[in-house]
Amino acid sequence: MNATGSAAPMLPDGLVIVVKRECETCRMTAPVLEELRRGPLPVTIYTQDDPSFPAGLSPIHDHDLAISWHHDIETVPTVIRVDNGHEVARTVGWSRAEWENVTGITGLGTELPVMRPGCGSMSVDPDLVDALRVRFGGSALAARRVEVAAAEDEFEAMFDRGWTDGLPVIPPTEARVMRMLTGTSRAPDDVVAVVPPDLVEVTVEKIAINAVMAGCKPEYLPWVIAAVEAVCNDTFNIHGVLATTMPVGPVIVCSGPGTRAIGMNSGMNVFGQGNRANLTIGRAVQLVVRNIGGGRPGEVDRATHGNPGKISFCFAEDDAHSPWTSLAESRGAAKGSDALTVFPGEGPRCVVDQLARDPESLCNTFAACLRTLHNPKSILAFDAILVVGPEHARVFAEAGWNREKVVEEITARLQIPGSELVRGANGIAEGIPAHLKDAVLPKFRPGGLLLVYAGGGAGLFSAIIGGWANGDVGSQPVTKEVTR
Amino acid sequence: MTTLLDPTNERRVSTMERVGRPESLRGLTVGLLDISKARGDVFLDRLEERLSELGADVRRFKKPTFTKPAPVDLRHEIATQCQVVIEALAD
Amino acid sequence: MHDIVDIERRGIPGVFVASAEFVTAADAQSKSLGFPDVARVFTPHPIQDRTDDEMRAYADEALAAIVAAVTRS
Repeated sequence: MNATGSAAPMLPDGLVIVVKRECETCRMTAPVLEELRRGPLPVTIYTQDDPSFPAGLSPIHDHDLAISWHHDIETVPTVIRVDNGHEVARTVGWSRAEWENVTGITGLGTELPVMRPGCGSMSVDPDLVDALRVRFGGSALAARRVEVAAAEDEFEAMFDRGWTDGLPVIPPTEARVMRMLTGTSRAPDDVVAVVPPDLVEVTVEKIAINAVMAGCKPEYLPWVIAAVEAVCNDTFNIHGVLATTMPVGPVIVCSGPGTRAIGMNSGMNVFGQGNRANLTIGRAVQLVVRNIGGGRPGEVDRATHGNPGKISFCFAEDDAHSPWTSLAESRGAAKGSDALTVFPGEGPRCVVDQLARDPESLCNTFAACLRTLHNPKSILAFDAILVVGPEHARVFAEAGWNREKVVEEITARLQIPGSELVRGANGIAEGIPAHLKDAVLPKFRPGGLLLVYAGGGAGLFSAIIGGWANGDVGSQPVTKEVTR
Repeated sequence: MTTLLDPTNERRVSTMERVGRPESLRGLTVGLLDISKARGDVFLDRLEERLSELGADVRRFKKPTFTKPAPVDLRHEIATQCQVVIEALAD
Repeated sequence: MHDIVDIERRGIPGVFVASAEFVTAADAQSKSLGFPDVARVFTPHPIQDRTDDEMRAYADEALAAIVAAVTRS
């Protein structure tokens, strides 16, 4: 709650009491303030609302709530003991014992009850907090201010300026951005990453601005920041992912208790509409790529078809119910931690198998469907995520197959004779050079098939999310832990 | 006045630039859009005469009110018929 | 000005004509619309009390600037 923008006004030595007339406890304890005034210590009284209260005690009106804000007054009355400019003790509400303790004066308020709780300070009033944050911390925001004339529709203005992904965005006012920044403990001017293609440093503040626009809540911000870090590096190669003619965009797979805390969806309709956290986190990352990195369709983004997931494609793995470790854990994240993995993916494709009762048969289906990823003749070049729905996962769980076993079994079924893969085979021009006709080649590179557990509890379906070119010139998935 | 924080990298001038212009107005369809403030019609009548002398094919359009942007249908109509547009006269 | 911004966005050259009263407003408005360079021509002010002959004279005086604003010449 302490502002980083403006300097905190110092408290005078002695006793400082903050009250508001509207608070019954403050009114009840007004006589005690008189007793304190008669004592040995200097007494300064700040009133938040009515400067005539408490009568006869010459209070100072904390009219702009600067004192209350900067000294974290959450309850009134608050009594603070200040020695040599430093706070040494504080108590909130009325408690005879506590007041005597803090003030060093005994026999206070003998006609009053032993204790009585205080009331909410005006400086934590939800209706006032946003404005206070801007007032006392707004100068910490470095972004250029853009004025939208009163006659302008701010939503149209943002479209006109090219700030949107084609859908309306929330206007990033100072108050909204300051509120968004409460979602992280990082400083607004902290540099998070360098964003291609313009290769610009992006700060926490700029990410927060785009997160506001996307419709995120402050508690989503750490996920957005982690995802931006995860995509802006040579391993993931967001520049390549953006610039390709293939349809891919960043797919963000989240896991950990934090996903549940912020209400992400890992179940029914996990890829679809309706869940704010899923949709706005993915969207915020795309807005950062667009607005900070400068990556736009028709310019650097040359996708032939693209896919609807390039607006947003972010979801949670159901690691609470999964029979397996989470994808993030399998890639090195600490057990039970909040983490995400970014993958260069296209839109999902459904896999139907409503009859398989044993894991071998189900793997046969998966292998047959995965075989056709991008083209039945293409091998090794592309990765994929297999999102196993709960009803399919149960087949594996009942057989005691962990994730490594599942991947191993599918991989074994995707060792393909070169003769089926060479150019021209099966009348398909695509394929591998003729000299490989006697080789046996895998569909996926080692580690190229990722497994995720997600989806609704009803439905014998899974999904495949096809990837982009892997390897050094392509993109590889990146896993990052998420911290506040 | 609403103040927004710039979400971009602030390097690009995110401003529009004028589209390409023709060499001359001769033979082009020029739309004159009257914003419907008083006296504008006299001004536009004279422009119509002078532009016709320059060889332009002048079409006249009128907004229902000067207080708001032209209706979408009218803008579309103007855009499909005209190669150049002159809007007048605000005061 | 909104109409001309919209017209230009459709790929058609446009210019709006206003009286000199509008110079600073046009400047501000064009910037807030994200199109500071939008073509505009100004006539003298006032307009409302001019006779027809005076209005026609305004049009004659503005013609060259108007044509220049929408052609390459």
